[in-house]
Amino acid sequence: MNALYSVLVVLALVLAGLAGGRVEAGRAVLTLAVPYAALAIFLVGFFARVLRWAWVPVPFHIPTTCGQQKALAWIKPSKVDNPSSRWGVFARMAAEILLFRSLFRNNRARMAEKRLILGESKYLWLGALAFHWALLLIQLRHLRLFIEPVPAWIDGLERLDSFFQVGAPQIYLSDVIVLAALAYLLYRRFRDPAVRFISLFTDYFALFLLLGVAVSGVLMRYFVRVDILSVKQFALSLAAFHPIDPSTLNPLFLAHLLLVCTLAAYFPFSKLMHMGGVFLSPTRNLANDSRRRRHVNPWNYPVKKHTYAEWEEEFRDKLKAAGIPLEADDAGNARTN
Amino acid sequence: MSVEAVIVERWVDRALKSYPSEMHSFLGGEKDPFRNPVGNTFRENLAALVHELLGTMDKEKIAGALDGLVRLRAVQNFTPGEALHFVFDLRPVIGEVSGAISDPLQSRIDELALMAFDQYMSCRERIFELRINELRMWARSAAAGEGGTP
Amino acid sequence: MPETLVQIEPKPPRGDWRNPKVEFRKGAMCYSAAAKNLTYLGLPNPRAWQPADSDWKLPPDWKKIILDGMKDRLAKYRSFRLFMDICVRCGACADKCHFYLGTADPKNMPVARAELIRSVYRRYFTLTGRLFGSLAGGRELTEDVIKEWFYYFYQCTQCRRCSVFCPYGIDTAEITLIGRELLNLIGCNINWVMEPVANCYRTGNHLGIQPHGFKDSIDFAADEASEITGLDIEVPINRKGAEILFVMPSADYFATPHYYTLLGYMMLFREIGLDYTVSAYASEGGNFGSFASHELMKRLNAKIYDEARRLGVKWILGGECGHMWRVLHQYMDTMNGPADFLEVPVSPITGTVFEHARSTKMVHICEFTADLIHHGKIKLDPRRNDHWTVTYHDSCNPARGMGLLEEPRYILNHVSRRFHEMPENTIREQTFCCGSGAGLGTDENLEVRLRGGFPRANAVKYVKQKHGVNLLTCICAIDKATLPTLLEYWVPGVEVGGIHELVGNALVMTGEKERTTDLRGEPLAREEVMAGGESEAAHA
Repeated sequence: MNALYSVLVVLALVLAGLAGGRVEAGRAVLTLAVPYAALAIFLVGFFARVLRWAWVPVPFHIPTTCGQQKALAWIKPSKVDNPSSRWGVFARMAAEILLFRSLFRNNRARMAEKRLILGESKYLWLGALAFHWALLLIQLRHLRLFIEPVPAWIDGLERLDSFFQVGAPQIYLSDVIVLAALAYLLYRRFRDPAVRFISLFTDYFALFLLLGVAVSGVLMRYFVRVDILSVKQFALSLAAFHPIDPSTLNPLFLAHLLLVCTLAAYFPFSKLMHMGGVFLSPTRNLANDSRRRRHVNPWNYPVKKHTYAEWEEEFRDKLKAAGIPLEADDAGNARTN
Repeated sequence: MSVEAVIVERWVDRALKSYPSEMHSFLGGEKDPFRNPVGNTFRENLAALVHELLGTMDKEKIAGALDGLVRLRAVQNFTPGEALHFVFDLRPVIGEVSGAISDPLQSRIDELALMAFDQYMSCRERIFELRINELRMWARSAAAGEGGTP
Repeated sequence: MPETLVQIEPKPPRGDWRNPKVEFRKGAMCYSAAAKNLTYLGLPNPRAWQPADSDWKLPPDWKKIILDGMKDRLAKYRSFRLFMDICVRCGACADKCHFYLGTADPKNMPVARAELIRSVYRRYFTLTGRLFGSLAGGRELTEDVIKEWFYYFYQCTQCRRCSVFCPYGIDTAEITLIGRELLNLIGCNINWVMEPVANCYRTGNHLGIQPHGFKDSIDFAADEASEITGLDIEVPINRKGAEILFVMPSADYFATPHYYTLLGYMMLFREIGLDYTVSAYASEGGNFGSFASHELMKRLNAKIYDEARRLGVKWILGGECGHMWRVLHQYMDTMNGPADFLEVPVSPITGTVFEHARSTKMVHICEFTADLIHHGKIKLDPRRNDHWTVTYHDSCNPARGMGLLEEPRYILNHVSRRFHEMPENTIREQTFCCGSGAGLGTDENLEVRLRGGFPRANAVKYVKQKHGVNLLTCICAIDKATLPTLLEYWVPGVEVGGIHELVGNALVMTGEKERTTDLRGEPLAREEVMAGGESEAAHA
């Protein structure tokens, strides 16, 4: 049901994009109001969310340690999985963010199979990693639409991306990967009943939305052949806050644009915020040095305690009988010793 | 695939249906015995049982394999009938695979069921025994303590 | 026909996870906290009730209390706020939970456990949840939801195994603890947590042993250690001016097999001539408060520093205990520090400065002993442990909340000649919990514990079959209390012991009499007895 709803919403967006381009008012909304509004929501929303997290204190020092601690000088610590220094934390976070270290941890017992086999959980790692890197590459490539002249590094990226030089126009590897990875992640959500069990509307919606963006983009490049020049002119004008008349734009491009804008506006309200959140996770971004350096809790408050004096008073007779030394005599005066 | 292997596979499949459907693909699919101890318990022990039922019916081996299964089922959230239902799942499986079940095999399955019942009871008794042991131990230490909240 | 005689429908799927209905069954639930314990601690809503009752006698404004409590914690804990927001439900944590593996209940997936509270967060604290309700993954807070929280938050041992595998480090222990805190606000707590907390608060230890009883237990153990070794072993209590305060979990002096570990500590301290004291006031290292709320954790933990200050010791040494060390390592200094009245710990025997404990001033006994062995300061005869084929169970908190992995192994390799590891994905940071931690280790909950402990037992069974392992060592009091029962059920023939029990066995003490038994009173194997007389030092 959740999946169905989210497909319907994405399809409705596509139709709105396609249809909206046919009337002038629709075009204006789609090319002016929507992109700027989406951008504003994205920027304000994203930073507001991150700032709100950052505003909340980290009262306790709770890293999850995944390797040997640094304690005795002659025992080799695990510097990345159980960092004790800032550099260690930096390396751990880098491994987490760039390589998805924790997802990679799913190892299988070797005795189960004689050969090295990629388990389903390694596929999750591979799928997720492939998706994120491909998406990053695609976004960087898109910068060429907003910058004139196109910087050399973007050209370089594109050459790298079309390394295999197949097809005309040449096929970008990242396009293939992003589609395959999205398809896998979606398939996994459907196929694995346990994952399906916990999947919400938002989980499917994010996937279908991304899939919509990717598919419309691929259609424009390889099949419908949108006039890239007019798109670039439009993009440059948007970036310069002097939008030009959008009447020459292809409806498919408008659908793509609307999907992208939806994604941007939806982003701050969704689980996609893990992009910002991962940097702030206190089980990952703290060094395991809580015995070496005191972590301060800004809202630490005094609590009701059962003090030694109360305890001694309560058990005075028993303490005396047992011959355990006391602080105060029977009259309650501190003993001098 | 041998007939025996087919029977084992289908039996495992059927037996695992006693768990919520969300669990089937994990319990049936994950092969690492340490990541999936429940699924592995079924695969390993049901295979051993089929081997014995179709073979020499070695009592000791049957008891060992049954023990692994029954011990697990006895602590999970099942009524006794649900817990031991996996034994009776074998009948339709053999029926599917070979059409009919021979009389000797019928009685072997009956025997299996009775053994499973005995083991189930002994597991449940063991659980209560262990519980009593713990209680007794705590009671003893608590008596030593005699303190606690007033 | 016989095949139609017994026909039971296959289990229905859990279906929509938002359905909060749960069934409390005897043997698979913890009893509610007795009113007297809540009253003693000054906690809300003390009353007589049980989880299986239909009426939980919640306070009339329970919903407001819970939502206010959530709001308060969302503003205080970045962990909580973040973990409510960023989960993508990838499912990587699912099969990492021992309760999920043992119960085969999909709601025991760590992600599902968190969703129980996340759904309420979305409904009441996010814009999309308030606007779109269940479409945005929101869920109304009802009494059934409270019952469901209780059911599943008391089916989590806060072992943090899932957090190792989560790409964002989402820590279910954090969510469970805050979930339990919220339940505490309306008086939904379990006795096996609250009674120990009340006892600790009053007498200093979780069974409520009063000072004279504490002294009796310690003296009794000291006498036994003296008898075994033929040496005069005494343990000072509340002695001012000692160099070191030694704090252990109270189970060490009243429960077996913990007791043998206590004998081991005593013998070790005697042999190296340690200037130390134990305290009857701070006679519990294990912190049951940490199973209920941050505040109770702090209230109990405060005794340790207070007592160290009163006694005027230089630093603190801590015994073998899991949750205790999570608190000592990650919370104590923050909550009750700074410990500026203590000195940076230095081993009086080896001179090693424990730089890693420079601020907290508390050292783990395994760190201390490994350092002694490394410097050749004690003589060990590992042959005295030849009757044990040993494996080591990493206790969750020292493993995933500290990274104390190699120290105990280093010691084991010097006190035992037969040490075998369990499979790789069940040890170190991937260790499986005993299934009874965080206050669940009570007898009425035995069936749930047996389910949760199954993955651990499964790995023990493997090393028993492969290497003939007959002793599982660990450094956690809850492990020692609950794994014997667990293994008696799943893997009969494997005993449970502490690292320092084996140290005590192997320790060759100056002037000791010839040992014929181990600390348990079991006779040593023949060749060991023969070797006993001229036992050479076997240290590194």
